[in-house]
Amino acid sequence: MALDMAKYRRIFLEEATDHLAEISRALLDLEKEMGNVEAIDTIFRMAHSIKSMAASLGYDPVAELSHRLEDRMEGVRAAGRVRDPEELSLLFRGLESLEAMVSAVSNEAEPVPADDALMTALQSEPAQDAVVLATAVAPEAVGGEPKKVRG
Amino acid sequence: MARVLIADDASFMRQMIREIIEPEGHEVVGEATNGIEAVDLYNELQPDLVTMDIVMPKRSGIDAVKAILAESPTACIVMCSALGQETLVMEALQAGARDFIVKPFKPDSVISTLKKIVEKAD
Repeated sequence: MALDMAKYRRIFLEEATDHLAEISRALLDLEKEMGNVEAIDTIFRMAHSIKSMAASLGYDPVAELSHRLEDRMEGVRAAGRVRDPEELSLLFRGLESLEAMVSAVSNEAEPVPADDALMTALQSEPAQDAVVLATAVAPEAVGGEPKKVRG
Repeated sequence: MARVLIADDASFMRQMIREIIEPEGHEVVGEATNGIEAVDLYNELQPDLVTMDIVMPKRSGIDAVKAILAESPTACIVMCSALGQETLVMEALQAGARDFIVKPFKPDSVISTLKKIVEKAD
């Protein structure tokens, strides 16, 4: 049987846009309180939902990045808090990349895969985040302060 | 054919399941958007079958399965799982869920899984 994928694309755009706004709000809450359990759970669920919808529509870059974000948030959930401002910056960067991808879908363009540095940082052991991101984004920053992306 | 309750917080997924199963003659009697609603609607509607998402707000799909089966041990519940949820699927099956379908949904697979469960239940 064939599903009306144009209809699901419209629903995806509506729901993904809402979910990204919720992730953004939750990240801002985490800026104020890194152990905000509700915010952590919201980001996890929103990333999970975006992943499933994107996979259903074949938007692989969206599915892969949201899957990576979901996995990362599972770790944050287990820890009970975002570890430090660097990890929060990483999550903001994941959000920005997802927003760009959904915007591309909205403009009927193919979403561009997230850059390798982000994907690697999201899956790396927490202690490695700063080094991985700094190496890829600003090599000269290695050993110095990690580059803050947003927030 | 079965009276089905769909439990998923994503409208996208609820509509997709509905669109897949209704042409097969199944009747969607209710939609739940979180685990608490899933349990409440199960008790109210007594559907033949539930499709239950694992990750939902307020109460997880697995908790909802356990709550439904505690009251209705013969309830037919199919988990909706996604990539990377193998451990949770195992937990749900051990709790008494009958089977699982995997996102992204393949219509033929969803239909055959539901058919198998409905036939077993008859």
